[in-house]
Amino acid sequence: MNKIILWRMLQEEIRLNTSFASGRGFYSFPILVAISGFIAVMFTDQMVADMGYYQYLEILHIGLMFYGIFAGSLAFFGNEFLERIFGYLGLIIGLPNTQPITQRKITLLYFIKEFIFYSFFTLVPAFIGGIIGAHYNDISLMSLTKFGLSLSITFLSGLSFAYLISSLYRISWKTSVLGAGTTAIIYVYILRELSVTASLEWYLTGNLVFIVTAILIPIVLSLIATLLIKDHQEQAPVQMIGYQNRLQEYIKKFNWARNISHPAIISKERIDLQRSKTGIKMFFSFAFPLGILTFMNWFIDKGLPVQIDFNTIFYGVMVGFFGTMIYSWLNTIDNPHFYSTLPISVSDVVRARLVLFFTITWWIPLLFLTLISYMSSEINLLPIGIIVMITVGMYIVNYTAWSTGLRTNSALFDSIVFLKFFIVSVPPMIAMTILSLAIKYSISIVLISLSTICAILALLSIFFYNRIEAKWLNESFD
Amino acid sequence: MSVIKCSELSKTYDDVLALENVNLTIERGEFFGLLGPNGAGKTTLLKILTGQIRATKGYAEILGMNIEDNVMEVKKKIAIIPEQESPPSFLTPREVLEMVASIRKIDEPKTEYWIDFFDLQPMEGRVCRNLSRGQKQKVMLAAAFISETELMFLDEPFINLDPIVQTKVRDWLVGYVKGGGTVFLNTHLLENAQRLCDRAAIIHEGNIQSVIKLKDLDKQNMNLEQLFHEIIL
Repeated sequence: MNKIILWRMLQEEIRLNTSFASGRGFYSFPILVAISGFIAVMFTDQMVADMGYYQYLEILHIGLMFYGIFAGSLAFFGNEFLERIFGYLGLIIGLPNTQPITQRKITLLYFIKEFIFYSFFTLVPAFIGGIIGAHYNDISLMSLTKFGLSLSITFLSGLSFAYLISSLYRISWKTSVLGAGTTAIIYVYILRELSVTASLEWYLTGNLVFIVTAILIPIVLSLIATLLIKDHQEQAPVQMIGYQNRLQEYIKKFNWARNISHPAIISKERIDLQRSKTGIKMFFSFAFPLGILTFMNWFIDKGLPVQIDFNTIFYGVMVGFFGTMIYSWLNTIDNPHFYSTLPISVSDVVRARLVLFFTITWWIPLLFLTLISYMSSEINLLPIGIIVMITVGMYIVNYTAWSTGLRTNSALFDSIVFLKFFIVSVPPMIAMTILSLAIKYSISIVLISLSTICAILALLSIFFYNRIEAKWLNESFD
Repeated sequence: MSVIKCSELSKTYDDVLALENVNLTIERGEFFGLLGPNGAGKTTLLKILTGQIRATKGYAEILGMNIEDNVMEVKKKIAIIPEQESPPSFLTPREVLEMVASIRKIDEPKTEYWIDFFDLQPMEGRVCRNLSRGQKQKVMLAAAFISETELMFLDEPFINLDPIVQTKVRDWLVGYVKGGGTVFLNTHLLENAQRLCDRAAIIHEGNIQSVIKLKDLDKQNMNLEQLFHEIIL
């Protein structure tokens, strides 16, 4: 029975993905991953020369660990968002509601399915790309296989960590925070004088104790996660009563934006944002990547022979780029199906969400940038950082809105859409990052160059914004 | 005067033919029922006629307007109750009605009347996400009825409603049609269709199998259920 359920879950996962990305886009994703694996191996010598052998391997392991956590979070927390966007979704993981199978068993199978899916979808293609690269780069196939195995175990550790947090979250969010902290402390304590992961330590030393430890970590985490699942878990209570009627008040407030979108739509979206408490989630989802960025900054500072100072302007670029996350959050709050009964178009709703992005959620990136600037004692760079942040934010969010409409998360699963997003977003970011790093050498040239790029991005923002109407006018809300 | 007209309307989803060469004309002041088993193509036809999806082939017009060229104009003049009750999750029922009135630019919306009609007062201060399915359906109906349009498209509107509300809605719809409104009703609840409709079409596997006047059916000593079974089985 388990094999059948597992197989059906894999089929369900593929059908789910191909339903919100095009089949072509979905199936070409592993090819992109294989190309990335090939490039990574081809440039290994260069990277090792620049960063050092040990640091390079450690960065790859940290990357895979976070990839596992991200994939696990998407798997265990993502269904709620999917239901908000698409309406009710009956998934096999919901089988215990009607069939004689325990929630514990089905969730464990779901976790195994996730590992198999991501293995075939990303890890194996990356490895195949690596093998092709190794052929040209004189890297031993045995060494590459061993390293690939160590990376897979690290990915599994990240995935099982997310599984554990989701099980703890079923109890309460406080338990999940406490559990995450405790697990991280225990992990750091066990590996305090070793590499970042036990599997990397095994790869470097060949000591079998470490491969056993590396395998035991995900097993123990997933076992605890599974045992924590109960069949009759009470959902956290939601506020049932006491909501004030505030629509009219907001319609008056947003009347100034009537030429951009209908004030009633903006008001509805504004109320959604407030009552769903998505602002808090946005705040924490901002904190997570910025935390990683700060950690990477610290890590590179520690590991590299040359000093790289990521300053406020650099963080302005990054924080502006993360604006796309805020826009995608705005698209996960409620199912837009009701709009199909009204004389409005998808483009009206897209523009309403852009109004919200630029008027209501602006404090999140601004707060982060100001904090970073203050902590780095770079308040003098803050005005430039803010201008850069606003320009990059406008550019990337208008492009995201134009290219993905109301389905940002699912559209970015389409590798073709993702590739276009990558091409549009990465070059200006790289240019601005390089300029931000060079500011202490030639401030006038850097400022002129930054201003030029900002002006180009602002013009492109207007260009993308103006095309939203034509692109989404005839799109259905279904 | 015809308010709905379609000719040779077809719709395919990938290789699946959902509708095939549908021809229909519905006159002003008619209570028209589209009947059919699950998956017959009822909702697909309703979605095309309300501009929610596009036909693969054929032509359709509403109130004299070609739908594909005038989606927004058509939507302004019709009210829709979709198959799934999906009012905005985080708005209260009153806010939903206010939003509809604002978007449709209704000068003096009868918000209080519809809140009272559907007994929505006990749900004041609650957001739609926390309502039962029947309560959500009441909000959807109120949002459609407050629109005061001359044409209504209803997709299984009685599902999840208790018998008392069903009777109230039926009575209101009868009055609405008497007052000159037109109703296009999708249903597989034949009893309701028998009570309400002037004319009905039976659709099966994407094809209109029969269009009948209910009065003519009475003359033949048949009811809709018998005809339905005769055609479908």
